[in-house]
Amino acid sequence: MAHQPSPSEATNAHYDSIQQLESIRAILFAEEQTRIRILEEHAAKLLKTDKEQGERLQARAQALQAEIDALQQESSAQTETLQARLEQLRADITAESEALIPRLTGEMSGMIRNTIRDSRDEMAEALGPVMGDAIRVQIRDSREDMIEAIYPIILSTVQRAIAEFARELQRNIDARLKTTFGPQGFLRNLTARLRGVSSSELAMRDALPFNIQELFLIQHESGLLLSHWGSEGEDDGDSDLIGGMLTAIRDFARDSFGDGSPDESLNEIQYGDEQIVIQSGKHVYLAVVATGVEPEWFRARLRSFVSELHIQHAPALRDYDGDPASLPDLPPKLAQLADELIMPKEPEPQPMGRGQKLALAGGGLLGLILIATACVYLQFTIALWPLAFGKPTATATATTTPTATATMLPTMTPLPTNTAVPTTTNTPIPTATQTPPPTATHTPIPTATDTPTVLTETAVTNAPVWVREQPDIASTASIAIPADIAVTVLTRQGDWAEIEWPGSSGLRRGWIPVQWLTFSE
Amino acid sequence: MKRVIQKKVCLLGDFAVGKTSLVRRFVEDRFDDRYLSTIGVKISRKPVEMADYTLNLLIWDLAGGDDFSQAGASYVRGSVAALIVCDLTRRETLDSFAYYANQMRALNPDAVLIFAGNKADLESERVIDNEALHEISLSLGGHYLDTSAKTGYQVETAFQLLAKKITV
Repeated sequence: MAHQPSPSEATNAHYDSIQQLESIRAILFAEEQTRIRILEEHAAKLLKTDKEQGERLQARAQALQAEIDALQQESSAQTETLQARLEQLRADITAESEALIPRLTGEMSGMIRNTIRDSRDEMAEALGPVMGDAIRVQIRDSREDMIEAIYPIILSTVQRAIAEFARELQRNIDARLKTTFGPQGFLRNLTARLRGVSSSELAMRDALPFNIQELFLIQHESGLLLSHWGSEGEDDGDSDLIGGMLTAIRDFARDSFGDGSPDESLNEIQYGDEQIVIQSGKHVYLAVVATGVEPEWFRARLRSFVSELHIQHAPALRDYDGDPASLPDLPPKLAQLADELIMPKEPEPQPMGRGQKLALAGGGLLGLILIATACVYLQFTIALWPLAFGKPTATATATTTPTATATMLPTMTPLPTNTAVPTTTNTPIPTATQTPPPTATHTPIPTATDTPTVLTETAVTNAPVWVREQPDIASTASIAIPADIAVTVLTRQGDWAEIEWPGSSGLRRGWIPVQWLTFSE
Repeated sequence: MKRVIQKKVCLLGDFAVGKTSLVRRFVEDRFDDRYLSTIGVKISRKPVEMADYTLNLLIWDLAGGDDFSQAGASYVRGSVAALIVCDLTRRETLDSFAYYANQMRALNPDAVLIFAGNKADLESERVIDNEALHEISLSLGGHYLDTSAKTGYQVETAFQLLAKKITV
């Protein structure tokens, strides 16, 4: 049977257990208690330190507050000073605004220049709207001032534009001058004159600047681009889209403003300085982007180009389905057309080949020979004419009666007294050499011709005439002398006169019929 | 170097079905939520690489409308194919399929037709089911696809199919 403890024993046991527990607790928490004590000591130290720091901070704050108060007082004093200064400056500016403007302008312009150099875009962005408004207001409020201010700039710009235009015009006129003097140019000038347009007006019209920028050859129905030419050379890649849009615009215009028939179509679009001229064909149309004033032949050339294209390649143009392999070689044709449209040039003079030079030299030589032959022929013809056909006036029958006057001539010859001087030099020759022939040939009139009459008259040939060695038409003709040559008549024998005249190699002599002489009074 | 062949194709359909958005997604690969009605026609270009050649599709995006005007007919001439578009959230746009298909065939008898039910991304608002679309496209002699210009769903496929069907 188990022992039952008494209450006192139980209480003692309980106290024992409590003591044991306290002992265990003391053992277990000894370290913690030590740590707590240390912490408590530390906390007490910290509290003490914080209190000291708080006191220090408070003192510092008070010092700062004092400084702030002092600074505030100082700043308010400075503000007052600055305000006074500003007021003074304002008063100065108001009083001396005109004097300040030059100084400020220099400073301001420097600042503006620097800002523009450093941040151009920002300046433009900032000033753009303000300047626009300012200009509008200025124009509204003081138009005349604005005109005066802008005039030099505008004038210079306009002058430059006009000068550029004039230079281009001059270039075009020079180029035109080279082509105007051909047969076509002459024909054009003539046609223009007939229409009441002067040559200068026509030249000016032709010389006005004109330029081709792009050519598009486009199929009517689909708007597909067949070929493109651009003055810049490289295609920017959008020409097919432009071709499509042009077709859409044409379709829209036709459907909206026309009766929808294919014959009615848009043939020109103008925008700014540029125009798109459209020349329509049956299957394709040609769109030309040009600037300037088109020459009168321009559209006719476009028509003929499109027409020729259709004549040569109609099936290919009609059946084009987007595959360029099915098309003829169109780019060179467009390039050639562009060349013609930009400046219809005469063929450039090419350096001559050897064969051409030889042919030219031969032709020249032949020409010279022909001219020389013609001269000789003419000379002979003119000289022989009177001999062959007689002098026109002399052919009249009336001259037969003057033969009586011819017989009168000997009566006029009794002027030997006048020939005293010439006879000293000339008589020996005729007397020595010329007497025999008359006796031989002119027997029918022996009385007149027995002895040649020695004369020293002066006369002038009244026509080109052959000079003969003897007073006989059958004798040899030595030379022909032209009309209006002064001669000295040495002797006469019947209708013949022996003359002397200055030749290229000295004095010459010979016989000519008297009728070709006009005697001086 | 491959030869380049250009072909004219059209986008047809009622207004606001998403024709311009489809072209923009196909050509520029982007979508714009703003709706700007097309005036007249807008032309875009997209090269599609084929086995032997590059097909340069010139896409004529025509202004939508109930009346296929005379001008619209002019724009369609010379097209070898058309993408006819309806809005899957508006039943009446499907009814116009036959009209556009007949107009296209009247002007270009051999034209390829592809039908697109656009705005497929708006599933909850969809009122036209695939069965109806399939039926009508078969009756009109074309192929059908759901598309979404917004997400790009089947947009490339639709145009690629169009390009493949065009005989060169």
